[in-house]
Order: sequence, then structure tokens, then C-alpha cells
Amino acid sequence: MVLSLDLITGLLSFVFTLFIFSYLIGDNPLFRIAVYIFVGVSSGYIASIAWWQVIWPRLINPLIFGSMFEKGFMLVPLIGAILIFMKILPRMAGMARFAMAFMVGVGAAVTIYGAVAGTLIPQVLGTINIFDLLAASARNVSPIESLFNGSVILAGTVFTLTYFHFGARPKADGSTQRIRLIELFAWVGRIFIGITLGTVFAGVYAAALTAFIERIISLINFIGNFL
Amino acid sequence: MRVFTAVIAIAAGALVLGGYFLPALAPVQTLLLNWATILAGAAVLVGIFNLVSVHSDKIRRQEKGNAYSVLLLMALVVTFLFAMILRPGHIIMKVVLSGIIIPVEAALMGLLTISLLYAAVRLLRRRAELMSIVFLITAALLILGSATLPFGNIPVIGTFIRPWITQVLALGGARGILIGVALGALTTGLRVLFGADRPYGGN
Repeated sequence: MVLSLDLITGLLSFVFTLFIFSYLIGDNPLFRIAVYIFVGVSSGYIASIAWWQVIWPRLINPLIFGSMFEKGFMLVPLIGAILIFMKILPRMAGMARFAMAFMVGVGAAVTIYGAVAGTLIPQVLGTINIFDLLAASARNVSPIESLFNGSVILAGTVFTLTYFHFGARPKADGSTQRIRLIELFAWVGRIFIGITLGTVFAGVYAAALTAFIERIISLINFIGNFL
Repeated sequence: MRVFTAVIAIAAGALVLGGYFLPALAPVQTLLLNWATILAGAAVLVGIFNLVSVHSDKIRRQEKGNAYSVLLLMALVVTFLFAMILRPGHIIMKVVLSGIIIPVEAALMGLLTISLLYAAVRLLRRRAELMSIVFLITAALLILGSATLPFGNIPVIGTFIRPWITQVLALGGARGILIGVALGALTTGLRVLFGADRPYGGN
């Protein structure tokens, strides 16, 4: 049984990989078949995950088997879920606003805290800590190297942020232009952004290349099993 | 009704945000986050229902390419029914996951190898400006620097230039972009909490 399931998995994997790679010769029905089936299968799988891992254990289960206290608390999300399902009916879609407002409010709060505690504070601290010469010497990094690298990182951070500063004073002729110093900083910031995006590109390319090689090896291995 | 939706959003947001700073509000925050997770799960189901209705309309109107929509709906319904009856962790569902979902995702990722290379060449042809040139030179240096060749790493590029670009130059730029994104997210979140933006349709 296990062997046959392995064979089916391998066969499905082989066929779908070939269908997707057929895109290399241009858009064709095989590629589309694979993509549409993939979207269908993924959607069905995600829907079942949403039911079995979210709605059933967090909502339905407490409503059926929970204490009266739990049932009382679960009435609010039950009503919210019903309101969200109203979106299916065009005439009743407006009722979903209440549930959407709740989700947007909670999402905004989580976003604010995530931005401050997860990004702003750690990134600012990271920039400051580079100039900690004691920590640098503990890592066997020379103070000059640490100061130089820290200055470049600080300059990169400031210049990149300046690039996104769009405040400008209007001129007498009605046109607007940023202050010359800001323009200069923004120009250097563009170089840093180019380097950063180039680094991201190289990382994504390496990941894509790894996936490509892994798929090619899987195709070869599957054929090799029958030779 | 408009005021009521804004009150719901502001009150829910304020209580959840307060829970991060005031321990007394932490249980309320946990409860509200649990409710939001349930509503997000319901929203996922509504989204998938919308996908079904769009493709059903395509089939009903016999639009071009409706055969693909039939395939999509069949795949969706069969997978959903099997997963509902057997549960997502069942061995049959693992076959679906390892035989279709993961290989297609990996193969699509693999296709990016060609698409990205093509996009890079087109970028150089169409917009040969400072930022594009810096972008492509950086990418080329990093790919060369990380390539494992039969004789090892390329001397200066692999041992000095690549680490310096990734750990110093790119770090500075990335930090600026991250701080910019965080400031943008913070401003957007605060606008929602103050009721200045009402993306839930409460304007």
C-alpha cells in the first residue's frame, strides 16, 4: 500500500513538473491544465485547513462541547462569522462591515505593535550597536573596521530613508523641488537601494536555481527508477 | 451604522494594542485575537466561495477557456470533500500535498530562473540608468561570489566583495527600506485607530 502510494506521489510529481516546465517552450494547454488543477487543489486544501484547524477547534467545538461560559463568549465570533458569510449574498453584503471593522481594528493594532517592536526598535538598536567598540573587540573585529562599516551602514540607512522623503517647497513659478542637500542624499540613497535590491535579486535567483535543479533531479530520478 | 463600524474598529484596536502594554488587558487581547482568527478563517472560506462562483459563472456563460474552469472546480471540490472526510493530515492528503502542491510550487519557482534572467537582460536594454546598472552589477557579483566552482570560491569576489556587499552596503539599504516600511505601516495603523481611514467601508 505504502509503495503504491509512493509510486502515485512520484508519478503525480513527475507529470505536474513536466507540465509546468512545458512553459519553457511557451504558454500551452499542458501548463494551463497544471496551473488550474494546482489552484483548485490548493484552494480545496486551504478551505479544509481553515475548517479543521481554525473554525472547528476554535468556534464549533467550544459551541457544542464547551461550558456555558465558553458558549457565551463564542456567540460573538459566531455572529461575526455569519456576518462575513453574508458577503456571499450581494444584497446582504453590507452586513459584513461590522465583522470587517473588527478585523481591521485588530489588524491595525497588531501592525502598529509589530512595526514598533518588531522592526523600528530592533533596526535602530542594530544600527547603534555597530558602534559598540567593546562588543566589536569581543568579536575580534578591529575598532577601525567596526567604525568604518558602522558609518557606511548608518549612511546607507539615512540616505535610503532620505530617498523616500518627498517634502518640497513650492517655487515662485509654481514648480516644486527638494532642497539640494536632500537631492544629493537621495541620489546616494538610490545607489544603496540598487545594491540592496540587487542582493535580494541574487538571493531569489539562487533559491529559484536551487528549486530548478531539485525538480530536474527529481525528474531524472523518477525515470531512473524504471531503467 | 458608519459611526458604529468605526467605534467597533477603534475599540477593538485600542484594546488589542493596550494588551501589549498593560498586563490587565492581556486576557481581553487574547480573546479578541482568538475572535479575529476565527473571522479570518471564515473570510478564507468566503474567498474560496468567491473563486467557485467566478469560475461557475465562466462555465455557465461558456466563456473562452471554460474547460480549465471545469478542471479547477473539479480539483477543488474533490480535494475539499476528501480533506473534510479524511482530514488534512490523512495519508491520501499527503499524497496530494507531495504529489501536486509542493512539486508545482517548486517547479513554478524553478521557472523563475529563466524569467528573472530574461527580466534582468530586458532591464539593461530598456533602462540602462545608474540604479539598473548598480542593481545588475551587485546581483552578478553576488551570484559569482556564491558560486561553488571546482577550484573553490573566486578569490576576491567570493572572499571579500560578496561578504562586504551583503553585510555592510546592502544592510544599510535594507535597514533604510525596513524602517521606511515600518514607519508607513505605523502611520497606516494609527490612521485606522484614529478613524481617519476606514477601509471597512465606514466612510
